Formats: sequence, C-alpha cells, structure tokens
Amino acid sequence: MEEKKIKEVVKGRYAQIAKRDQRSCCPSCACGVSPLSQAEAIGYSGEDLKRIPEEAIMGLGCGSPTAIADLKTGEVVLDLGSGAGVDVFLAANKVGPTGRVIGVDMTKEMIDKAKGIAMSHGYHNVEFRLGEIEKLPVEDESMDVVISNCVINLSPDKSKVFQETYRALKPRGRLTVSDIVSERALPDEMKNDPDAWAGCIAGALEQQEYLEKIKGAGFKDVQVVSSKKFYIENKKSETIGNLLSITVKAYK
Amino acid sequence: MKKELMQILTCPMCKGNLELTVDEERENEIVSGSLYCPKCQHSYPIVDTIPNLLPLDLREGRS
Repeated sequence: MEEKKIKEVVKGRYAQIAKRDQRSCCPSCACGVSPLSQAEAIGYSGEDLKRIPEEAIMGLGCGSPTAIADLKTGEVVLDLGSGAGVDVFLAANKVGPTGRVIGVDMTKEMIDKAKGIAMSHGYHNVEFRLGEIEKLPVEDESMDVVISNCVINLSPDKSKVFQETYRALKPRGRLTVSDIVSERALPDEMKNDPDAWAGCIAGALEQQEYLEKIKGAGFKDVQVVSSKKFYIENKKSETIGNLLSITVKAYK
Repeated sequence: MKKELMQILTCPMCKGNLELTVDEERENEIVSGSLYCPKCQHSYPIVDTIPNLLPLDLREGRS
C-alpha cells in the first residue's frame, strides 16, 4: 500500500475512535473489558493510572513505556503518537512542574481530546502538537526522553521515525517504546489490507528487523525489556497468532 | 502553545527556525496565530492553542 493511503486510513480510524464516547474497542479490541483493566493488563501500574484523568485511558496502547523510562523531575519528554494523552499525563506526573511533556499526533480529533483533558484537569506542563512522527517539528538534541506506545507500527517509514527520534534526543537521551512486532513475516495480502494497517497488524515488522531499524538510526544499548504474545482478531474474527507486544529501551 | 516552547520548535520539513506571529494570547498561552518558515516560505497555523505542524499533504482538505 502506498504511504499516503496508509496515513489517510490510520488517521481516519483514529479520528473515529477519538470521537467515540465509549472508551473500549480499540485496535487490540478486548471488547467488554474496561479500558482501565485493559491498561493494567498491558503493564500500566494501577497506582499511576489512578493519578491521571480517566478519560485519557482509551486502552489503545500495548505496553507501558513510561514505566521503564525512569523519568526524573525537570526532564523534557516527547510522546510520538500521543492519542488521548494517557502516556503524556503519566509522564507529566513524573517530570513535575519544572519538566515538560510534548505530545505529537497527526489526528486532530485526538489532539483536541488530549488538550481538552489537559485543560480541564489543570496540567500546565504538557503541550500538544499536530504533527507527523516521520517529520518531527522539534529542535535537534532538545529532548531527554522520547516515548511511544503502539504507534510506530502504524508508520509506513519506521526508519525515518527512529532517525527523527535520534535527532531530537540530547546526547545519552533515551527512547522507550512499546510496539507490536511479528514473530514471522506476515502474508502479503495482510500487508495490503487497510484495516489491518489501522488495526496494528499489517505494519508490524519482524522483531529483528524492528530492532535493526532502531540500531540503524544510531541507537546504542538496544534492549527488549519485555515481550508478550499479543492477540488481535482480524475482521474475519480470526486470531492473528504470531504477534508480540514488546517494550524496548535504547540510548543515544 | 506556550511561548517559552518556541525555542525547541522547528519547521518539520527543513528543521529551520520558525517566526511566530501572535493573533490572540491568554495567560502566557498563544491561542491563535501562525508559525512561518522563511526557508520553506510556508506558514503553519496555530488554532485553539494547537500548532498545526503537519506537512502540507496531510492537511485536511488536501487528501
């Protein structure tokens, strides 16, 4: 599928999800399960979740990149594909009033939602930008930490995303990313299915290739901190069995 | 967007500095205005406090 088409499909899908009031039924669709319990199941700390606005928890992630980011007071953090802001608010609580967390997302509806939540809950250390993660609108070496949760798989140019992340990080800055990868190559018909792209399946690279792309951007000490089987049903309700949710930490 | 964050903001295309024009400001936050890249000769709007730094081909109405 051509890049522009992929982006349009993904953008359309997430715009719809943002507008939905009901907060379940996501790409990783565990329909009937509340987003909060789903979030705990994928690795978020229940204690941390209690300290952020509940409406930001949409159950769209596949790991908890802030949990292993070891965030410190005063740090500047960038979240790639920030959605309704769950990871932005978690990070904002850790970096405190002297820190900053910037969320970038290409879907206006998600940015509007996240911004509304930030305003109604009095978060002054967060900012949101409409932008593309392959073309980050931030200065070189301006970030202490870059986080991302279940988003980079949606990008048709993952190498560019990691190169841009590397550029944006300060020396020895760190990347923590949760994402979907596959154990084996996916069939071509799936790679060309727009719904499978938007549903975090078609864009999943094989794990080794994913890690090579991170290293290829210049990152060092690339480690897979956690890895779990990830089950997604496709539109024919068949379970895709060879997907993994991994959380990776890497340093500039 | 907050003015202080201008220093870490760049043009997404050329990574050059952006020139800020403020139309409306409220409590240290820019509500509306624009960010102009002199190199690309392109202006990025700020609407309802959110800077739209999407590349042109991803803007609404252009797809």
